[in-house]
Amino acid sequence: MTGRLWPRGLRARLLLTFVLVTVLGAAAAAWSSAGSASTALVTSTQRRLTESIAGQIGAITPQLTYPPDQDALDRLRAAVGPDTLVTYRNLRSADGADTGLVTAALRAAVRTRNRLVTQRISAGGRPWLLVGIPIEITGPDGARTPSGIEVYAVRDLTGVDRQIDGLAWSAAGTAALALPPAVLLALLAARSVLRPVRELRDTARRLAAGDLAARSPPQGADELAELTVTINEMAESVQTSMATMRRLQADARRFAADVSHELRTPLSTLTAVVEVLATATAGMEADARESAKLAITETHRLVRLVEDLMEVSRFDAGTARLRPEEVDVAGAVRDCLRARGWLDRVDLAAPEEVLLRLDRRRLDVIVANLVGNALRHGGPPVRVAVSVSPEQVRIEVTDGGPGLPEHVMPRVFDRFYKADAARARTPGSGLGLAIALENARLHGGDLTAGNTSGGGARFVLRLPRNLEDA
Amino acid sequence: MKRIWPAVMVLLLGACGVRPSGPADAGRAPTGVAPGVTLYFVDGHERLRPQLRRTGRLGTIPEALSLLLFGPGESGLHTEIASSSTMTVVVSTGPALIRLMVPLTIRDVTPLGIDQIVCTVLGVHVQGGGSRNTKVQVRFTLPTPESDRLRTCPLIR
Repeated sequence: MTGRLWPRGLRARLLLTFVLVTVLGAAAAAWSSAGSASTALVTSTQRRLTESIAGQIGAITPQLTYPPDQDALDRLRAAVGPDTLVTYRNLRSADGADTGLVTAALRAAVRTRNRLVTQRISAGGRPWLLVGIPIEITGPDGARTPSGIEVYAVRDLTGVDRQIDGLAWSAAGTAALALPPAVLLALLAARSVLRPVRELRDTARRLAAGDLAARSPPQGADELAELTVTINEMAESVQTSMATMRRLQADARRFAADVSHELRTPLSTLTAVVEVLATATAGMEADARESAKLAITETHRLVRLVEDLMEVSRFDAGTARLRPEEVDVAGAVRDCLRARGWLDRVDLAAPEEVLLRLDRRRLDVIVANLVGNALRHGGPPVRVAVSVSPEQVRIEVTDGGPGLPEHVMPRVFDRFYKADAARARTPGSGLGLAIALENARLHGGDLTAGNTSGGGARFVLRLPRNLEDA
Repeated sequence: MKRIWPAVMVLLLGACGVRPSGPADAGRAPTGVAPGVTLYFVDGHERLRPQLRRTGRLGTIPEALSLLLFGPGESGLHTEIASSSTMTVVVSTGPALIRLMVPLTIRDVTPLGIDQIVCTVLGVHVQGGGSRNTKVQVRFTLPTPESDRLRTCPLIR
């Protein structure tokens, strides 16, 4: 209810408030002035009528016989005018039907007070003035005694009522005249407030959309200008810290890229040495052979780590290039599994031939990583299912293991994230899933992690079918 | 909102109209009725005496003066105004002064006779609703300083 009556817009609210205040003020002023004018009008009309009637009576009384007879009462009534009632003890002289309006309260007041008494009443939808006049006898010494003659006059006040109505209407009209200026002022005030607000809103929108250079010029020296300055300062500081963060990020990436690049040359030498060592392990003692094998394993791990790091660096630097070609997806997945000797450990369900334009090497990296993870961390049976829809090709890798814990799910694609700290020394580099995700995105596709209804982990790779040549 | 405005207008207009009231005082009652007119004559001890002449009504000042000039009749009182063939008196009444033009000279009246005239005139004036502080100027037919005096009645204070 309130929401419907009270408009939401600032402009409408200002407009309504202005109009209400103006109209109420004007109406109050008009009402009070019309009220006092009408009171004055009623009072003066009443006094004029009363004085005229009293004057008429005073002019004729010296000629009236006392005690009066019916004839004297008739003469007195005729002198006062129509709608008059004159009484003396049992005698009564009345003229006009309206004399029946005289109230008992008025008669009582006339008798007890012995003074002129007036009363306003409303009868038949019209206002009336009742005037009660007792006539007194004054002795030569000035002592006054009631004579017993009472005169009641009934006068119609409709004319006065009409005049008062006219006053009220003209007052209302004056109040209505205040309306257009109020609307105009409200619109001006609303505009002066709303324009800076709208500019601020646009600026905030641009900031939210990423345009950190967006500013709005402050105008004037009011609170809105202060707000504008504050928002500009906020944008400035956000922009500065964002720039700093980007620089630091870029520095870190360049450092990782440089480090991995610098490590490659000594590592290839080391690899060669280790391979020589591998051929010579046969003649070693058991202890030395164990150490040599460990060194060989760790060196291979180091090589893979550096290669993965360099791959990630290429993604970060945006220099990773897609080399798409027409590939049979099912065949490519089977080749990948066969090359690693996993065909007998993995359930592959794939349609006969699914042709898709994609980078064969990158698909191989993704599938090998997903299946490798499933074999290493999950439990059998590991299934790979390839399915086709008009828009995309889905490659789903599931296992029968315990699945991914809830807290791991959002971070599973993070770099160097290990779900189990105790499993730190696994052969993986910790970058495999991150690289797989980047490869999927490079194809315009996506890679998501989840659990099957049976509890095992499920990774789904989606590749769009309409890949455009990069 | 739309329902409120007519109500407000009605309230405004209604409050402005003639409102009924209870009985309210509106001033002194008129007066002027009387069973007769009071004339002033002189008794045997040379004192002014009021005499009510039952005419049935108060009447006017010239009427009262006509009755006064006519005499006291059989009542043991006498008048100190010489009888005159003409009884016509011209009266002009101002706010605080009644001016009489009597068909007499200063020799026709004694000071008590003048008081008779002044008291009778003032009596009618007061009984008709006039002020008791009104002065009376009696102008005689022949020039005399007495014509300019503003008089009051010793019995009506």
